[in-house]
Amino acid sequence: MARLSVEHVARIEGHGNVTVNVEDGVVRDVRMDVVEPARFFESMVVGRRFEEAPLITSRICGICSPNHVVTSIKALEDALGVEVSERTKLLRKLLVYGSYLQNHATHLYILAAPDYVGLPSVFPLAESHPQIVERALRLKKLGNDLTTAVGGRQVHPITAVVGGFTSEPGAARLTALREELLRVGKDARATVELFASFEVPDFATSGEMLALTADDDYAIYDGETKALDAGWRRPARDYRTFIGESVVGHSNAKHSTVGGRPFMVGAVARANINAGRLNEAGQAALRVSGIALPTRNPFHANTLQAVELADAAARCAGYIERLLGIGGSSEPVAFRVRAGEGGGATEAPRGTLYHSYAIDDDGIITAGDVLTPTAQNLANLEADMRAFAPTVADRDPEQFALLIEELVREYDPCLSCAVH
Amino acid sequence: MAPRVVVLSLASDFGCQVQLSNMTEEILDVLGIIDLTYWQLASSGHMPAEYDVAIIEGAVTTDEHVELLAGVRETAAVVMVIGSCANLGGIPAMANLADLEARYLTVYGDGDGPKVAPGRRAPQPVDAFIKVDYHVPGCPIDPAEFLRVLSRVLLGLSDRVPNLTMCASCKTNENTCFYDKGVLCLGLVTRAGCGARCPSIGRPCMSCRGVAPDANLPSARVIAVAAGIREGDLDDALRIYNTASEVGR
Repeated sequence: MARLSVEHVARIEGHGNVTVNVEDGVVRDVRMDVVEPARFFESMVVGRRFEEAPLITSRICGICSPNHVVTSIKALEDALGVEVSERTKLLRKLLVYGSYLQNHATHLYILAAPDYVGLPSVFPLAESHPQIVERALRLKKLGNDLTTAVGGRQVHPITAVVGGFTSEPGAARLTALREELLRVGKDARATVELFASFEVPDFATSGEMLALTADDDYAIYDGETKALDAGWRRPARDYRTFIGESVVGHSNAKHSTVGGRPFMVGAVARANINAGRLNEAGQAALRVSGIALPTRNPFHANTLQAVELADAAARCAGYIERLLGIGGSSEPVAFRVRAGEGGGATEAPRGTLYHSYAIDDDGIITAGDVLTPTAQNLANLEADMRAFAPTVADRDPEQFALLIEELVREYDPCLSCAVH
Repeated sequence: MAPRVVVLSLASDFGCQVQLSNMTEEILDVLGIIDLTYWQLASSGHMPAEYDVAIIEGAVTTDEHVELLAGVRETAAVVMVIGSCANLGGIPAMANLADLEARYLTVYGDGDGPKVAPGRRAPQPVDAFIKVDYHVPGCPIDPAEFLRVLSRVLLGLSDRVPNLTMCASCKTNENTCFYDKGVLCLGLVTRAGCGARCPSIGRPCMSCRGVAPDANLPSARVIAVAAGIREGDLDDALRIYNTASEVGR
């Protein structure tokens, strides 16, 4: 018999309790109680001016705030029929990738790594393995520097607005960032090596996988939603027609299904769906990881986040080169306020993030909807815990607890996002 | 002995805690002078029974939060609040502008809703319930300002939040005033101390630091209307962060 009850699981964003109860190899109970209180963001934006939506919804999550800002802006631009310049799109990609570097580094080193080295937190490593902590801080700092250069600060970017940017970094700053990005490539590779060296359970999720996909890039800003098993591609703006949400009693976050199945979003889904779009650095990192794609193992999420770090550093250096070459302007384009409905998506570090709004003729929001990565993952995480728990129920209680918590942290849940 | 510090969060987006983790250049030095005994975001372990300094992020939105705060005030010698949610109620308190039950129905429908975290209440700042010793405002906090306030805590100096409005910072930065362009900016009434970060890169102030004690709201309303801004728009914009404070009502 194995029982586990953890209140306020550590090293995840937000408040959640995990209960697992296995008797004689039969799972009696598996729950991820999301006790993070609801703040009702979808109702808060109603009645506000459309320009305020990115500022307000950004406060759903301080961890992936650049994604909320950019996704909110994309949904509003879809509703208003606003087309932005290539320069604006490149800057937005940098903003999102700044969030990736910062988030992946934080999740991998501060939240996840202590599991695999038997420590309660990363802080003792500063004494015993300073080079690892310094590497983590370098990656995190570069993500922050990128977000700050483009967005004006690390958390809750300021400069990104409907139509463009109110300010952008100068050529000298961009050039310096490009050099840093090229330099950090070796830190990203070392991260892949580190996580590939950790032993993880052999386990397969039964869920579907969803991610944005595009023909010309490893999709994080543009693209359509693709389902790995079902094979379809659909416009991301129509997400409410293919993703179902339902209220469950034990969680302030709703659960999601696609075609009646739980599904997974995030690094595993992205790498599976977009493996062919990884750049050279990403492909090399993937080889080092030893992971054969497609993989159904949720315990590969950490290592695949590290692969994405390697891809992202080189990709962002390329975006900056293009920005320095194309000229043009990111100044907000002129547009007429009109009634409309629109939706948009980006890939946030934890998976696809969707926003949609309806606006009236005066630019006042009449309806808003946000579907976050963790809200999409929760049903699949519970299904995985249910399938995984009996396979490790014979371990000693401490080991059992650690393995279940590791599974939770592989999903990198963000519960304030999930509830919002 | 290094002061024992706990970091706690109520209803928030964790953005201010992310800012703490973003002090990549200072964090190891800070950890050398405090004893960080509990931080759920970054470490396994339980909340200790005794500690000296409690750093609190987030707005009070449940009965459980109120109970937690009572215990914190009994235990901690020093309570520091970080961010707009804990200082002002902030964006979570926008929920107070309409009936909370109606919002619950909008989000969860009228079927059986979630049964966890009962005791929902109108979002409030921390000092609506307990005495607060130090304040770091902002959405999110600026790590440099946090370090300045933490130094004051460690040195036993008093809390010192600026009472002035932000306009002087804009003048120092040689920013063109938004009112000259007929654009609403809340810097006119907002507590200084961020160096007018947003107006300096093209965005009007949204008053995330709260209304300054020295602000003259009636005059600000007159100036806004004179600049061509619709009557009532200034107060409406203030409601994004300041609903729970007297001014926003």
